[in-house]
Amino acid sequence: MFLAILGPGIVTGSVDNDAGGITTYSVAGALYGYNLLWTLIPSFIALLVIQEMNLRMGVITGKGLADLIRENFGVKVTAFIFLGLIIADIGNTATEFAGVAGSMDIFGVSKYISVPLTAIAVWILATKGNYKIAERIFLFFSFCLLFYIISAVMAKPDWREISTALVHPHAKFSGEYLSIVLGIIGTTIAPWMQFYMQSAVIEKGITIKDYKFAFLDVVIGCTATVVVAFFIMVACAATLNKNGVVIREASDAAMALKPFAGVLASQVFAFGLFIASAFSATILPLATAFYVCEAFGFEAGIDKRVDEAPQFYWLFGSIIAVAVGIILWPNAPLITITIWTQVINAMLLPVVLLSMIYMVNSPYVMGTHVNNKFQNFIGWSTTILLIVLTGMLLLSPAVTFFRKIISW
Amino acid sequence: MGEQFFVYLSELLGKPVLDRDGRSIGRFYDFSMALNNDIYPRAKGVIVCTAGFPRRYAEVALADVLRIDGKVDLKIPIAAVTFQDVKIVSEFALRRDVLDQQVVDVENKKVVRVNDVHILRVDNQYHIAHVDVGLRALVRRLDLEPVVDLLVKFFRPDADYLKAEELVSWKNSQVLTLGNQKNVLKLDVARAKIAKIPPVLLADIMRDLDIFEQVSVFRSLTFDVQLKVFADMAPDDKAGLVGLLEDRELVQIIANIPSDEAADFLMSIPRDRVQQLMRQMESQASKRLRTLLGFRRNSAGGLMATEFLSLGLNATVADAMNKLKASVDYPGSFNTIYIIDDQGRYAGTTTIRRFINEPFDRPIVNTCHPQKVFVRTDDGMEKVAVLIEQYKYSAIPVLDENDILVGSITVDDVMEELIAMAWGKYKDQI
Repeated sequence: MFLAILGPGIVTGSVDNDAGGITTYSVAGALYGYNLLWTLIPSFIALLVIQEMNLRMGVITGKGLADLIRENFGVKVTAFIFLGLIIADIGNTATEFAGVAGSMDIFGVSKYISVPLTAIAVWILATKGNYKIAERIFLFFSFCLLFYIISAVMAKPDWREISTALVHPHAKFSGEYLSIVLGIIGTTIAPWMQFYMQSAVIEKGITIKDYKFAFLDVVIGCTATVVVAFFIMVACAATLNKNGVVIREASDAAMALKPFAGVLASQVFAFGLFIASAFSATILPLATAFYVCEAFGFEAGIDKRVDEAPQFYWLFGSIIAVAVGIILWPNAPLITITIWTQVINAMLLPVVLLSMIYMVNSPYVMGTHVNNKFQNFIGWSTTILLIVLTGMLLLSPAVTFFRKIISW
Repeated sequence: MGEQFFVYLSELLGKPVLDRDGRSIGRFYDFSMALNNDIYPRAKGVIVCTAGFPRRYAEVALADVLRIDGKVDLKIPIAAVTFQDVKIVSEFALRRDVLDQQVVDVENKKVVRVNDVHILRVDNQYHIAHVDVGLRALVRRLDLEPVVDLLVKFFRPDADYLKAEELVSWKNSQVLTLGNQKNVLKLDVARAKIAKIPPVLLADIMRDLDIFEQVSVFRSLTFDVQLKVFADMAPDDKAGLVGLLEDRELVQIIANIPSDEAADFLMSIPRDRVQQLMRQMESQASKRLRTLLGFRRNSAGGLMATEFLSLGLNATVADAMNKLKASVDYPGSFNTIYIIDDQGRYAGTTTIRRFINEPFDRPIVNTCHPQKVFVRTDDGMEKVAVLIEQYKYSAIPVLDENDILVGSITVDDVMEELIAMAWGKYKDQI
C-alpha cells in the first residue's frame, strides 16, 4: 500500500525528473564531467526549504499558492507573476515535447508525427482520462530512472575524482557555464512545482496533525530528485564526457545508459524519456491553466465542460499549441531550447520566492508558524544568488564585449 | 467633477491623503468598516499608509475626513494623526477582507472572487453596495481599462464586455473570513444569507472553499441542513470536514437526526473516530446505533430506522390522533403507525389515510392493512424494494426472528434500488 500513502513530496519529486531535468543533468555531465555536481548540494538545501514553506503554507492556510498570491498582493503583482509563469511553462511544455521528439527520434519516428500525436493524446488523457491511474502508471515508470544509478555505478567512475569535484569545484565564469548552473537550479526548483506541490497538499487534506509525516514525505521527495540528478550527471560524465561526446540530440544522451543496457541503451533511454515527457506534458499545461484561472477567478477544472470554463480550456490548449509549434519549427535546436527553458525557470524563481518569503513571514497569513532564521536565510540567499547569477548571465555578452573594447 | 454617488475602491487605493493644511501625509490604503448587522456596512475610518519604506500606518476616523474626491482631504492637521509601524488591526477592512478574496454569491449560488468593491457615497458616509466580479474590473485594476475598452470597441462594439457589469449586491454576497478569523458567520445577517442557499448547492459551493471556510459555513447551518449538505459532499471533503469538527459537534448532529441517517453518517467517518464518538453519546442512543451498524449494509437491518410510531392492541383511533399530535417534532416517518402487542411483537400497520375518517372509539387494529407485510432484519434490499413497489406502502416494518418489531424502512431508504428496478422495466418496454 505504499502507493496509497504517496504524499505530495514524493509525487512532486518524481515529476521533477521530466524531460527538462533528464536533459539538463545529462548535458551538465557530458560537458563538464564531475565539475557541476557541487551545484546539487545548495540546490538540495534550497529545494527542501522552499518545499517545506509550501507545505507549511498549504497546511496552515488551506489555500493554494495562486490564491494566496492573489489575496495578499492584488491583481497587478499576480498578473506580473502569472505572465512570467505562462511564458516559463510554455517553455517547459515545449521541453517536454522536445523530449517526446527526441525519444521518438531514436525509434526512427519523425517529430512531425510523434509530437502532434502526443499532443492529441495529451488532450484526450487530460479531458477524459483518469488522473489517478495515469499517476500510478507514471510513478511506476519513473522507477526506470533508477537505471541511471545502476548505469552510473557500472561505468566505474572514479569516486575519488567525484568527491574532489564536489568539494573543490572548478568553477568557470563563462556564459555557458553560468547558463548550465542556472539550468540545473531552474529544473530542480521549477516555479510551477511550487504551485503544484501546495495544491497537492490541499488536495490530500493534510492538516497540521499530519505535518511531521508530510515533512518526511517532502524530504524523501527532494532526496529522490537530487539523487537521481546526481547519478544522471555521473553516468553521463563517466561515459560521455570521458569520450568527449557532446550532446546534440537525445540519442547522444542515451549512450550514457550503455554500461547498464548495452546495445539496448538507446531504446531503454528513449522509452523512459518518452513516458516522463508525455506525462509531464499532460500535467504542466493543465496545472498552469488551473493556477492562472484560480488566481483570476475564472472557472477551472477538467470536470467542467468547455463552455463552462472557457478560459481554462483555452489556456490549456494554447500552451500546448504554442509549445508544439516551437518544437515543430524546422531544425529547432531541441537541446538548446530545453536548457534555456530551464534557465527561464531559474529567472522566474526569485519573483515567486520573494512573494512566498513575504507571505510565509507574515503573522497575518501564517499565525504563529512563520519562518525561522535559518529558513529565511536560505530563502533570501537563494533569491539573491539567483538574481546575481541571472544578472551575470544576461550581462556576460556585454561584459565580454566591454572587455574586448578595453583591451584594445 | 462633482461628487458621484458610486465610487470603486480601486479608484481610491493609493490616492494622496492631505491634512487640513494641504500637506501630504500619506496614501489611502483601506477603509475600516463597522462590523455589525447592517445589510450594507458603512465605513468608520480611513487607513492611511506612508509612501516610503518602512511603511507606517494610521487610522483616521471618518468624522475627521472632509471630502474624498480624487484625493482625501482631512479636517485635522498632521500632528493629530498617530502612525504606527505595523498594520492597523481592524475588525473589518475592505481591502484586506473583501478585495481579492473569495465570497459566496448567494443569489447565483457559487463562489466568486472579488475584483473590485463598489461603494455608495451618501452624506459623506460610505457603504459597501456591490462587489464587482467581472472581467472589466480586473482590467481596471491593471490600469488597462482605456486601452482594452478601445480595442473591444474597435473589434466588437456590441460585446457583452462593455455593457454588462458583473456587480453582485452586497446583500447577496457573504465574506467567509475576517482578519484571518474564519468566524464571521456568527453574525445573524451572515447566517441568514448562507441559509438561503439550498443544501444541495451548498455542498457544491463548499467544494470551492478551503477547509477552514468549509468548517465555518458548516457550523452556521441547522442540523437538518448540515446533514443534507454532508450527504452531498464528496468523500474527500467529508473526511477533511469531520477531521476538523469537534466530537461534541458531531455527537450533537447524530443525536438530532433519525437513526438510519445517523448510521449512514457514521459509516462515512473513520472507525476509530466513530468509537470515540459513541463513547460520548448516551448509552441508549449509542446502543441503538451499534445495533444498526452491526447489520449488514444492504440488509433491512442496515437500512432501517429504529424510531417509529407505535400503539398497543387496545388503542383506539383517538389514541392514534393524540399520538400524532404529540409527535409533531418526531424526525421519522409520520404517516405510519405500527401496532404491537405487550411483548413488542408486530400486530399490524395502519396509516393516517386509513383511520382519519373513522370514529374516535374504533379500535385501531381494525384500521390496519388486511395483510401483514413485513421483512426480517437480514432480508436484502431487493426484497424490501419489491414489497414497497408491490404494495405501494410508504413504510415497511422490520422484525427480528422473534417477531419483535425492531425498526421501520421507508421509501427513500430503498430509493436507489427502486430506481434500478423501474429502469429495468422501462428499458424492457422501449
